[in-house]
Amino acid sequence: MSEFDSGTPLSDRVLAVLAVRLDPTGFVRLSWDRDLRITGEMARAAMALVDATNAGRERPLLVDMTGTAALTREARMTFSRRCSASRIALLGSSPVDRVIANFALGVSAVPVPTRFFTSEPLAVAWLTDGAVGT
Amino acid sequence: MAPSAPDPHDGRLEQLVELVVALASGEADARMEPSPASDEIDAVIVGINMMAEELRALNVDLEARVAERTQQLEEAQLQLRRLALYDPLTGLANRTLLRDRIDAAVARAERGGAGTAVLVLDLDGFKAVNDSFGHAVGDLLLTEVADRLRSSVRATDTVARLGGDEFALVIVDASAEQVLALAERIRSDLQTPVLVGGHSCWVSASIGVCFPVRGLDADALLRDADTAMYAAKSGSRGGVQIYEPAMHAAAVARVRLAEELREAIAGGQLEVRYQPIVDLGSGGFAGAEALVRWRHPTRGLVLPGEFIGVAENTGLVTALDRWVLDTAVAQLARWRASGLGSAEFALHVNVSPVELRSPGFSDGVLACLAQHGVPPADLLLEVTENQMMGEDAQTLQALDALRAAGVRVGIDDFGTGYSSIGYVRRMFVDVVKIDRSLITGLDTDPQQYRVAAAILAIVRAFGLDAVAEGIETPEQAEQLRALGCRFGQGFNWGTPLGSDALIESLTTRQCQRPSSDAPEVGEPLRRTARMPDDDGVLAN
Repeated sequence: MSEFDSGTPLSDRVLAVLAVRLDPTGFVRLSWDRDLRITGEMARAAMALVDATNAGRERPLLVDMTGTAALTREARMTFSRRCSASRIALLGSSPVDRVIANFALGVSAVPVPTRFFTSEPLAVAWLTDGAVGT
Repeated sequence: MAPSAPDPHDGRLEQLVELVVALASGEADARMEPSPASDEIDAVIVGINMMAEELRALNVDLEARVAERTQQLEEAQLQLRRLALYDPLTGLANRTLLRDRIDAAVARAERGGAGTAVLVLDLDGFKAVNDSFGHAVGDLLLTEVADRLRSSVRATDTVARLGGDEFALVIVDASAEQVLALAERIRSDLQTPVLVGGHSCWVSASIGVCFPVRGLDADALLRDADTAMYAAKSGSRGGVQIYEPAMHAAAVARVRLAEELREAIAGGQLEVRYQPIVDLGSGGFAGAEALVRWRHPTRGLVLPGEFIGVAENTGLVTALDRWVLDTAVAQLARWRASGLGSAEFALHVNVSPVELRSPGFSDGVLACLAQHGVPPADLLLEVTENQMMGEDAQTLQALDALRAAGVRVGIDDFGTGYSSIGYVRRMFVDVVKIDRSLITGLDTDPQQYRVAAAILAIVRAFGLDAVAEGIETPEQAEQLRALGCRFGQGFNWGTPLGSDALIESLTTRQCQRPSSDAPEVGEPLRRTARMPDDDGVLAN
């Protein structure tokens, strides 16, 4: 499991464990490193990057959390705040991913439609077309 | 991607059981690292880890909330305690806390500690401040007085507000001399004028001091200090009085007298006598002053001097004044119908300052006149000079309303106060009654003669009529007439009369000493502050 090195400047540390990019089909993809314990600080940085990418617009957000080791309570609280994402698809593959995703969905009240997927095409379809399926 | 089936021998399930046992036994920080397999067992491990973290966070939140609520509760309790034990206006102890402090001080003294004293203090002149400048200024004055009292005593002593303008102090570890010196110092401190709300307020204090004796509780000590305070108040204003057992007996007697007076007013034991007021020029009766008498069923005649003070202190004076007014006005109506006709005649009735200030007083007087068909011009209300001190808005409003309707107002006992000239300069007075102390010896003492002449000149200068009280000889009557005094009353024309005797004198004798159906013997030697009482009994 990787952890943030508190001595590294925030932007570098965040860039080291996540990636945010705008997909040509119109949604934003946020990808986390595997085996990561996502903290509140990381969550805030990720949301800031997503907002910066959207530049005042609202777009669907695909969060690839496959292989995430843990999600702290503070991180879950951070994700429960409204950002520039119009809807959020959480993408994972293992039972661990599912448990973590559903903690994020169930314990905190999410501000926009949010669902967990194990299939990326279905996730993208739900994000872009509103199609239902997991 | 489906995870591979868990190896039942990798030990994670056993570790998971240990984790659950640890959490169940209160190890809130217990966690288990999932394996790289990320299979269902890891999912359960991660789920339990997250639930444990959630529970710990909720617990922390709960504890924070409990701490916050506990603090709020403590603050509320403190606030309740303050409300229950302290006076909200001044922040001084209230009666409940005072009792506790007295009991504690007395217990300590009885165990061999130094002396303790309970003081009750009442402000003189506070009502006038309240009436004149309003309650806001009155409250500021009370706050300032509280500050002065606080700064006069030590931290071990207690200052309390009993209510209104009454305060109490518990002094501990002090000799009687030190307590009395403190009382004098407080009295002196309070005499310094207080500047509140732009007004300079002058008050003084009457202080009763009680030194505890074994066996008396806080209530008894407060009662005794209160009794001493009333004794101080009835003497010279701003005095200090130590409680003596005889005072208690006197206080009990006053309470009993008040109860009897209440019955007397309702039970027909009171009667009105009329003292003629004579036109010094013609010698004819120009009017009469109504004087109340109490025929007590067992004690005989009780002098007004004995019960007026009690009536004023208990509020019975209102009922008393109304009874006298109604009885006298009804009598005047009967006189008018049975011989007096429409001849000029003024009925003088004394009125208490408490009554003057009470709402609806002027309406009540005018209603009484209307009920008996007596014109307002027939009535003259007498107010003792000292009683007009307050000159509050309500008093002046009542006097204005009455005078506008035709009722006249006279200052009684003129010359005994210290603002006499000030009153005649104001516009709410028609008649001045010159106190007997300025008339006595007029015909034998040249100095007294010059003083009377000067006062009459002043009264005349303001265009007012004068009535000289306490005229004892024809020589005095003549001298006063020569000095320009228009009216007189006193022993020279006899004692107060019953209603039949007065009308008989009025119709059969124009200016001679009247006969009497039941004359009272002798000219009065003493009058009450509020109500003149030319009561013959005193002369016997």
